[in-house]
Amino acid sequence: MLKHTLSFIILFFAAGNISAQITKVDSSEMVTLRIDPESARGAKVSEIFEEVKFIPLETTKESLFGSIDHLELTKNCFVIYDHDTKAVLIFNKNGKFKAKVNSSKLNESDEKDKQAFYGFKLIKTNETELIRIASGKKYYLFDLEGKLTKKYLREMKDSKENHFKFADSITSIAPFHVSRDGKDSTFHEIAILNNKKEVALYFPLEFDRFKTDQYIGSGNPITDSHLKNELFYIRYYDYNIYRIKPKSLSLAYRIIFPANNSVPKDFLTNPDYKNKRIEYFQKNPTQIYGISNPYLIGYNLYLKANTWGWNLDSKTALIHNLQTGALTSIKNLEADSLSQFLPVTDGGSFTDFYNHGFHLYEDEYLYTSYSSLAMFSFKDSSVTRNIKYDPLLSKYFETQNKKSNPVIIQLKPKKN
Amino acid sequence: MFKILKLIALLVSILIVKPTLAQQAKPVFPGSAKGVLRDTAHNYTLKSATVSVYKLADSSLLSYQISNNYGEFSFKNLPVGTSLQLEVSHVSYQTLRKKFTIPSDKNAIDLHTLIINPKDITLNEVTVTVPPITMNGDTLEFNAAAFKLDSNAVVEDLLRKIPNITLWGDGLITVNGREIKSVLVNGKPFFGGDTKVATQNIAKNALEKIQVYNTIKDKTNPLDSTLTMNLKLKKGKEIGYFGKISAGYGTDNRFDGDLSFNMFSPKMQLAIVGASNNVNKSLNNINTLMTNSTFKGIGTNSDYQSDFRASGINRANAGGVSFTYNFIEKPNWELRNTLTSTYFIQDRNSDVVSNTQTTTSINTNDKIYEQSNNRNRFESTNQNFDAKYELIKRNKNLTLSQNFQKNSGENTGETLRNARNAEGMLTSTNNTLSQGNFDNTSFNFLANYHLSQDWLKPRRKFKGINITYGLRVDDSQNENSNLTEFKSFTNAASDQRFDRRYDKNINTLNQQFDVEFPNLRSIFFGDKRLGGIDFAFKNQLNFNNRKDDNQVEDLNGNTNTYQRNTYLTNKLETNRIDETPGITFTKTINKSLSNRYSKNLSFNFAPKQTFIFQDNKSQKSFQNLNRTYTRFLPDAFVNYSNYQFGEHLKNYRLSYNTKIRIPNIDQLAPLIDSTNLYSIQRGNLNLREAVDREISLSTNHYDQTNKNTLNYNLSLTAGFTNDNIVDSTFIDDLNRRTIFLTNANGRKYINFYGDIRKAIKFKASELQLSLSSQINNDQNPGFTNNAFAFSKNLNTNSDLKVNYTYKDYLAIAVSQNYGTYQSKQEAFNTEYTGVNMASTISSSYNFSKRLTLRSNITYNRSTSSNANDINFTIWNANLLYRFLKGNNAEIKLAALDILHQNTSVINYGGNNSFTIGTRNVLQQYFMATLSYYPKQFGKKPVKK
Repeated sequence: MLKHTLSFIILFFAAGNISAQITKVDSSEMVTLRIDPESARGAKVSEIFEEVKFIPLETTKESLFGSIDHLELTKNCFVIYDHDTKAVLIFNKNGKFKAKVNSSKLNESDEKDKQAFYGFKLIKTNETELIRIASGKKYYLFDLEGKLTKKYLREMKDSKENHFKFADSITSIAPFHVSRDGKDSTFHEIAILNNKKEVALYFPLEFDRFKTDQYIGSGNPITDSHLKNELFYIRYYDYNIYRIKPKSLSLAYRIIFPANNSVPKDFLTNPDYKNKRIEYFQKNPTQIYGISNPYLIGYNLYLKANTWGWNLDSKTALIHNLQTGALTSIKNLEADSLSQFLPVTDGGSFTDFYNHGFHLYEDEYLYTSYSSLAMFSFKDSSVTRNIKYDPLLSKYFETQNKKSNPVIIQLKPKKN
Repeated sequence: MFKILKLIALLVSILIVKPTLAQQAKPVFPGSAKGVLRDTAHNYTLKSATVSVYKLADSSLLSYQISNNYGEFSFKNLPVGTSLQLEVSHVSYQTLRKKFTIPSDKNAIDLHTLIINPKDITLNEVTVTVPPITMNGDTLEFNAAAFKLDSNAVVEDLLRKIPNITLWGDGLITVNGREIKSVLVNGKPFFGGDTKVATQNIAKNALEKIQVYNTIKDKTNPLDSTLTMNLKLKKGKEIGYFGKISAGYGTDNRFDGDLSFNMFSPKMQLAIVGASNNVNKSLNNINTLMTNSTFKGIGTNSDYQSDFRASGINRANAGGVSFTYNFIEKPNWELRNTLTSTYFIQDRNSDVVSNTQTTTSINTNDKIYEQSNNRNRFESTNQNFDAKYELIKRNKNLTLSQNFQKNSGENTGETLRNARNAEGMLTSTNNTLSQGNFDNTSFNFLANYHLSQDWLKPRRKFKGINITYGLRVDDSQNENSNLTEFKSFTNAASDQRFDRRYDKNINTLNQQFDVEFPNLRSIFFGDKRLGGIDFAFKNQLNFNNRKDDNQVEDLNGNTNTYQRNTYLTNKLETNRIDETPGITFTKTINKSLSNRYSKNLSFNFAPKQTFIFQDNKSQKSFQNLNRTYTRFLPDAFVNYSNYQFGEHLKNYRLSYNTKIRIPNIDQLAPLIDSTNLYSIQRGNLNLREAVDREISLSTNHYDQTNKNTLNYNLSLTAGFTNDNIVDSTFIDDLNRRTIFLTNANGRKYINFYGDIRKAIKFKASELQLSLSSQINNDQNPGFTNNAFAFSKNLNTNSDLKVNYTYKDYLAIAVSQNYGTYQSKQEAFNTEYTGVNMASTISSSYNFSKRLTLRSNITYNRSTSSNANDINFTIWNANLLYRFLKGNNAEIKLAALDILHQNTSVINYGGNNSFTIGTRNVLQQYFMATLSYYPKQFGKKPVKK
């Protein structure tokens, strides 16, 4: 009892130093999951997915690009960011090339240099779907034909642009939130705001933490859980999945990995590790430094456990069934007639899935992609099967080659 | 010539008959087998497992492969109606064995799904057989135990057995078409890093496995990496010794003996070598001796043999010790701490006799013919001691090295020369007798510290520094006495005779300070991009001090005593300072498309200014000169590389550089020694520095496909020199030459080099083709008797090599060398041309694992526009027999220059002259050699 009281007092003072408003993370509904990636099993593609569609993206001189680094969907289009060509490419849902936006389209007389950009954000309203590109001091809005419709100055101090809005359109989630109290500023990883008013503040942090310590990112920390008004949140060097709802943040899943895959308990608090974390993971390449890409699809929790060691054989992308406890390794899915005997990801053979995981989950579909180099090598190693490909793929294999554009794979996961 | 062709034809026919027989012995089998591997515990098909097929009767390995992306395997060329065993292995699974027979009516069997069980950790499986090849993460492993070879086989024999590996005629190793950049033993370079020392000595039975892995530089492009081969020794075998002791004696008192003994432990490597011969085998350093004393297993190889082209008869004794200590037992690319040290002593004794005739044009009509008979005896002792310490820690690198050399000896020489005019009349003779001894020592120390950017701290603005300090001290002592007699047959008054003694001492001290600050942009401009241009500052400072002390005495004919020659006796001190600051601007443009290509274009422009100060202090006042030179010396290059995934890597480079050469005191104001009237050197105080400018374009192509690769390199270099320091020669009708130096423009050259290499691998044999070619074209200005003339020279040299190996039995190499020269003096209307060519066929045939016959024949032909053709053929053959249990002993019977035709031809052209002649060379001898190869890997078992 005394111990509890003491720690409570310490907590209280520690918290008091930073901000009196820190909200306690609710862990009452927490579910503990024990996951051993090595024990993950395989399955036939048709056991996991209801539908598999290969969508080769048209290759023309104008549309040629490297790989898909960021994928978003509109009603009728795929919108892609490619880091190699520093361009946004727009394809129809059947893979037909529509338009491209690269820095030459931003280049105006008042801009001295060509402005490269490193991503895009899709702005959807009820009537319109626009691509917003941040470059230099401005935002540029493009329509899906690749035409510039608007440009305006970015308000550097206003981070509202990064906020996630909930359906009520009043509540928003502010990552890396700054609260000002007179001259003092305090910083939090997550704030829940209701019309700019701070409803709850979580995880205080030091402003210059990236300068004083090493952080290994493993993707976007906030992802859409695809439950209504619910987001998932993941922290650095932490195996917990948090759930953000309009009023609170709570601990949804606590994942326990086998000891030889887990970082030491004091990894975040022990100063010995400070600024030496990369060295630590270099020496312990099988330890998981973070998780990413969580999606809850029916009873299936999809996630990726990331390790520093570069090993295409390791089972990093997993599906954990919350009902049965079954663990499936995505790279070990076995191609069958549903996928025309082609692998549904390039996991285990090439690097796209290993690096990115699934691009997104939207409207009941998961999306991944792989290169034509991978596509043709898979086709070559199954040449003895005499597979009849669907017309789209038959045409692709006839007219394209291993240097053509990547192929998008659209998968409809089963929910049970 | 016809005889030779007949002989070659005979040899080829003998060598070809046997392989066809061997092929009949191993027919192509019609059977095929396929199946799928499945891990039912985890419910997936198993890829990257090793599937091997053995003949059940004698458990010999027939074939193996790795299961594909779908867990499938498919074998062809298997025998039907025979009991076979299939073995499946994977690092995480229990080995699966299955007996099967391919039915002879169908010639095919489908084994369907084979279930393979994960390894039970508590149950330690006893592995009876190991798979030949496994994938362990990203490492491809070839397990030595799976390949059944002769008990005396070495690693090289194993490499030849592995279908994925090509061992090239020149020692290069490729795995699936990709070049191995380094071969390590237990993660460390082995005895200096020469591949052969490891692959031809380490017993196959001491080897656990061969690991092949990428050292990945760029994770986004797994194909952009260098391939490393590591030979992992069995536990307990990481300590041992190997070597060779050999002695041979032959006709004409020819002898040849050598010793090489090497010991190694996990941290230490020690090599002791020694050799002595009088058969023109070069013994220049420890590595030559180590690489030529390797055990070799049962393979075919061309041998280390006498150099029949070396001039004279050389007798050499040599010995040395090499020591390496790794402070870190398992070093890697970012942590290494090594000390290496070698000591080498060599004693050489040579006898060279040569006869030459040189034809020189002195004007459009007149030529002078000079005949020269030369006899030279030379004896010397060289000692060399090196030590190097290297410490590498992530982004820091410290290297300290030193070298001490001592070279002493004596020589005697006799030269008889005479000159004739165009009518063939003897005009003069000039004979020299010389005797001397020398003692040179040299000490060299170099320290380099390199600090590069810490990639864990990319924000740090200071990106690194590179500092070098070098010190060199040379001390040379030369004592010589020359007796020279010049006789004129047209004018007796110009006869001269000298008996002169020289005592020359030179001390040199050189210090070098280089400092470089790379990637300065971030320090001066922070995060500004500056259009992607980065720059570096480099300063090179060099101090050189040289002291000459020459004592010269002449014999006074009257008193018969030597008296000091006050003109040639002199003390001279030269100080030279070179200071070169410079800035290097770089810009790199990368363009890549994932899984398609990666292209890189980089520009480098390095303007620098050099300041040279030269100061001479001499007892002779006319030598008290000081000179300063300064010049802008820009260098630049553009490099373009294009890497197409899975296809090829191409590189193009265009570079430009400038250099200056300043005249030294012997060119400006020498003390003129008039003993050699056929060549008197005079100086010129008005000499300016020569400026060389060179531009070169090169390209190379590396094939990245897996089979039958084609690789080539091409380069084209052109240069021109302003104010070149050239000879202005005055020749009188007695062939007395006085050479003045002067500056002249117009030196130009253009050189081409190309080589191309292709390998074609068949089932049991391999064909390798390589062609290299070189063309040099230059134009040199000069003056002869005040007439300005360009001498235009064109030299070419081409080499074609074809290597064919069939299994372990046979190796044939055919090579053709073709060289031409052409020298033209338009002003004198003269032209000299000549051709040298050599055709070689060498072969090696193993009658059994113990008996080998080797033979090589070279047909040489030398033609010249102004002399008779010279043709000769050298044929060497030897028979080797290995005996004792471990094949440790070898007896070799060698017959060299069987046809007794070796003559060393001198045939070359120069500025307005050409020279032809012969010199004494090694000729026919027969020798019997006995060798013993002590070998032990791992500790000796204790006898009870």
